[in-house]
Amino acid sequence: MADQPAHTLDHIFTNNKKWVETKRNTDPAFFDKLAAGQKPDYLYIGCSDSRVPANEIMGLEAGEVFVHRNIANLVNNVDLNVMSVINYAVRHLRVKHIIVCGHYNCGGVQAALTSADLGLLNPWLRNIRDVYRLHEKELDAIADERQRYNRLIELNVVESCRNIIKTAAVQQSYDRDEFPVVHGLVFDLHDGLLKNLNIDFEAMLQDVKKIYCLSPGPKKD
Amino acid sequence: MAVARLTARSGLLARAVRATCDSPSHQMAQSFISRPTRATGSSPTVPFSTTASFSCAKTPTSTPDAKSETPTQTDNESDPTDRYAAGLRLNKEWAAQTARDHPELFPTLANGQKPQILWIGCSDSRCPETTFLGLHPGDVFVHRNIANVMHPGDLSSSAVIEYAVQYLRVSHVVVCGHTACGGVAAAMGNKNLGILDPWLLPLRQLRERNLELLSNMTPDEAAMKLAELNVREGLNVVKQKGVVLNAIQERGLQLHGLIYDVGSGVLSELDTQDSEEVIRARLTAFQTE
Repeated sequence: MADQPAHTLDHIFTNNKKWVETKRNTDPAFFDKLAAGQKPDYLYIGCSDSRVPANEIMGLEAGEVFVHRNIANLVNNVDLNVMSVINYAVRHLRVKHIIVCGHYNCGGVQAALTSADLGLLNPWLRNIRDVYRLHEKELDAIADERQRYNRLIELNVVESCRNIIKTAAVQQSYDRDEFPVVHGLVFDLHDGLLKNLNIDFEAMLQDVKKIYCLSPGPKKD
Repeated sequence: MAVARLTARSGLLARAVRATCDSPSHQMAQSFISRPTRATGSSPTVPFSTTASFSCAKTPTSTPDAKSETPTQTDNESDPTDRYAAGLRLNKEWAAQTARDHPELFPTLANGQKPQILWIGCSDSRCPETTFLGLHPGDVFVHRNIANVMHPGDLSSSAVIEYAVQYLRVSHVVVCGHTACGGVAAAMGNKNLGILDPWLLPLRQLRERNLELLSNMTPDEAAMKLAELNVREGLNVVKQKGVVLNAIQERGLQLHGLIYDVGSGVLSELDTQDSEEVIRARLTAFQTE
């Protein structure tokens, strides 16, 4: 789709004006409503990959989904960046759903399967190698290389979900309000469809809480 | 799935209705069920208000609204008002429509990405970059965080920049701030926000360095100014990375500072041209081989 000349950004300003016009024509109050504040129901944590734009793939409008995107949709326990996003989305915006969305053909996951020194990217991608180590038996048992790669992409999403559930913000909010619920999805670039990994949120929460409990339990009525 | 299972439990609904009855600000049970956060308000288990000063503007009083169901709706797969289920359904429509409009797109996307733009913006739900840029899947590599803050040592954004500039060889790096930013508002206030405080630190540093300037402005003007200063500072941090400096020199990588107005949808570009002196000093101090 990148058929614009690389030396100028002018086209994005032209496109932006067209988008504004279209929105105003469809709903004259569209921007006034946005100016009044945000109240998204979703936090989306996805890959920076240009082929996976959050709003487009979910058919959601401006104002509907709070978005964090990094290399390979990682939720790293000591990453202040993603932890701030989760904290703000859960405690201040009080989102109802947290969606972790990976995608097949992920360059980050592929890089983590490669025996190469990638400098600054090494510590970031090491998290994916850790996911491999956690599921070594299952992954090693998959003979087909493509299928093994795809499965690692899915397991990486599941691991990110688990790390989200380890946070105090999510545990305490869920004990109090029964939200947010965490979901794992994978986007398929071949057909544009989202695959739901059907994570059993409650079961995962109980499992995580055995060791990572930061909330004493549901408030008794 | 988990959501459907949860919804089988009746406890929440009962609790919701009870809370509604207790809440004078909500006349209708339906209203509460649609937006449970409005009625529960601040909770004693959260040490600070969840709705007040951190948002720049409060959401208008809720009305029954199909788009904001709780995750505990029954049978969310078939409930037409559940937005999570709707998202998955809309995805199918989007995929079919996109395949019709651009039959070459998905087969091409599966082969790789060649975006021209790296976008560093705010996580704010009102700032969906690909949408308001009028661009398509494959066009924009994206990092979005709270208040589009760039920390020199942040591994997440550093890895994004490294990958985009060195491996994808993007032509443009954009740092985009926006009006009515909650992170900026928080940094202009003095409330303890826990883990968010270290993240917002660079905004407070800018506030400190520009205290006099900001104190002579109205709160709205000051917030706007701080958002702009944050974009300029973010660009400085980007330009302190060796990989970026080399790409500027070797292949003319361009950097841009933008402000997005959430109240009008319009993007505008800041003049971020550095003086010769600033550029020389930067190259001396930061360029690596």
